[in-house]
Amino acid sequence: KSTQFFSVVSVALLCLVFCSQPTSLDAAPLCTNAEAGCHVLSLANLFDRVIQHSARMHGISNDLHSEFELYFLPSKNQIGRVSRNCHTSNILTPNGKENAQRMAREELTEVILKLLVAWRDPLWHFHQSMTHFHDFIDFSSNKSLKMSDMVHELRKGVQKVVEKMQMLGILSNSVSSLMSPEAFLASGSAEWRLMKDYELLYCFRRDSNKVQNYLKILKCRIVPEDGC
Amino acid sequence: MVCARMVKHLRLPLLLLLLALAAECNSMSKPGKPDKLGCRSPDKETFFCWWTPGSGGGLPTVHRLYYKTEGRETVRQCPDYHTAHSCFFSKTYTSIWVEYTVIVEASNALGNTSSDPLTFDLMDIVKPYAPENVTLVVSIGDNPHLTIQWHTPSNIDTKSGWVTLKNQLRIKLEKSKIWKNYTSDTQTHFTIYNIELGVVYMVEVRCAIDNSAWSEWTNTTFVKVPNFPRTDNSFWILVFSLSLIPLLVAMIILILKRKTVKKYILPPVPAPKIRGVDVQLLKSGRSEDVINAMLLNQRFPVVMPWKDQNEDYLIVSDKETSYLPLEKNKIFILPVAITLDSEVQSKETSEVDRFLKDSESSSEESSEKTKSSQLLTKCPSTNVLNDEKANQLKGVTEKIIQPFGISGYVDIPRHEHTQEADYSRVNEVNSDNILITKKENVPHTLDTQGQEGGVLDDYSRVKEVNSDNTVFLEKHSDSVNASIRAKGYIDWVNQKAKSPHVTGDSEMGVCPQLVGCGYVDTFPPPAVI
Repeated sequence: KSTQFFSVVSVALLCLVFCSQPTSLDAAPLCTNAEAGCHVLSLANLFDRVIQHSARMHGISNDLHSEFELYFLPSKNQIGRVSRNCHTSNILTPNGKENAQRMAREELTEVILKLLVAWRDPLWHFHQSMTHFHDFIDFSSNKSLKMSDMVHELRKGVQKVVEKMQMLGILSNSVSSLMSPEAFLASGSAEWRLMKDYELLYCFRRDSNKVQNYLKILKCRIVPEDGC
Repeated sequence: MVCARMVKHLRLPLLLLLLALAAECNSMSKPGKPDKLGCRSPDKETFFCWWTPGSGGGLPTVHRLYYKTEGRETVRQCPDYHTAHSCFFSKTYTSIWVEYTVIVEASNALGNTSSDPLTFDLMDIVKPYAPENVTLVVSIGDNPHLTIQWHTPSNIDTKSGWVTLKNQLRIKLEKSKIWKNYTSDTQTHFTIYNIELGVVYMVEVRCAIDNSAWSEWTNTTFVKVPNFPRTDNSFWILVFSLSLIPLLVAMIILILKRKTVKKYILPPVPAPKIRGVDVQLLKSGRSEDVINAMLLNQRFPVVMPWKDQNEDYLIVSDKETSYLPLEKNKIFILPVAITLDSEVQSKETSEVDRFLKDSESSSEESSEKTKSSQLLTKCPSTNVLNDEKANQLKGVTEKIIQPFGISGYVDIPRHEHTQEADYSRVNEVNSDNILITKKENVPHTLDTQGQEGGVLDDYSRVKEVNSDNTVFLEKHSDSVNASIRAKGYIDWVNQKAKSPHVTGDSEMGVCPQLVGCGYVDTFPPPAVI
């Protein structure tokens, strides 16, 4: 009798555990094509993910930059520092909070995407050039590789966010024309080859910070639920 | 006196000289170089710079700050010198992700001195102010914990998402030297569990914007964690101890009176009992007593004497033999044998005499008698009789008809030399368990056999008397010494054939309960039959 009771109780408990699961699938992976039965994330969740990703990317770029500075350029405050000629300088980016807030969503999104697109190849080449530096490899070869991967991943993530926004009608469809990196690279393709490694790192550090901030501004403007 | 007067006189010129020298040293020159230029943005939207002016110059100097932004070549001056030796850049003049180059120039009438330039990007100089309004709340209960709350610096805008704050707090005991750090990302509250009671804690909080530098620590906030209120504890301790006392008392009473309690709770189960039988006696194993007890308790029907019968009870005895000077009473004890009494008494004395005469004749027989009397000793009623007989009887057997309840044996005193032996044959045993003998002459053969001496005189012990008034004698022929000769016997063996009442070879029914351990002397069966 006791065994019967025990088995009934255990079955009931198991049912409770497993029967309640379908309602709490918050951490489902992103669906590529919104197939049937796929649990779709909310826009706020998507935004949080890309923001976290961009924060990590900026963190890595910051570390790389300071390590590079420490290793290769011990005297920090050099008068006559090379002027910052980042290859992304021709992308017009808002330089303040109000400017970013005043910018239209589509424009801001475009800026983000442009930046991300612009950095994919330079970072890859940077990683390639770093492998020749044996000393630097000991320091942070993983980071340069990771950085280039992250740019790539972040771009895809932002594209997903854009698609979602367009699906929801928040964003107009004018953004899609800038998705392809070739459209951008055609104009300023050769510049980044002239940049020195240190400058490249500095520029990317700045641009990753921009991306992070723009994404945050965008999120709090479009889905101001929590965290704003 | 002369010296004092001299000093007094010289005082004024000395002073003038000193002044001239001072004027010489403090020469007017270009202003000193402003130093320690620093800039800071507390909110990522504005920033300010400060410097320390260089020493001297002697002339009134003016400090100016000039800055240049990246991409623009124009040099602009500080928009707002709102405090001395600092410059504040408002939102209008602040751009992020733009490199600023700032320089301070000190100028006086003689020239300008510039400080070293400072180049920075806004995101590098972000450093917020310390958090505000740190409050500590101690909560005691089952789970004592400390809740710390604070506010973000008032100038920071977190709503637009432009600024993401993260916080850090540190706590230590007042007497300790080591701080313990905790990070709270964007929350402006924090709870610490596992706090000690009765101590003072010190708490400080700071914050940071994105990945920038940390702010300064707030001013230390102290909090004292009170002890548990002792009154509650003591109350419950009192209640507990008071409730223990009656419990202890009850326990003591129980222990002292455990036997009565045990009786009350577990009443003794009555053991099986036979009335009149003592369990201890049974245990000790004296079977005779047990049997006696059992027998005594049984009520046998009272046997009334047959008064109707005209039977003669004879005491067969040898005239020459002497009898023991027995008391009359001892022979006839039972009221049942009243008739016996009357008849026998008359012959008693003569019998006794005869017994006495024969007492010396045979010592061997006396030993046998002692044996028999010893056997008889087990019979409770004949103790006296047996003793006397043992002492004095010699070779004389006596026929005594024993009443019931007394060990009875019938001994026929036997004449040694007689050719006539008076034998009484047991005629019958009537229902009253009386052996009725009749006088008759028995051929000598029996006697001679007994006289020959080679005869094993048989004594048969009465084994039992069964309900049919049958006397069972033990059959044995070797319990008696061969040399011992008995004098008079009842020829039980012959009776066996004649009397249907007598059963068995050397068996005679005698009620063992009443007669006790009576035995009957018998001829050795093989000689007779």
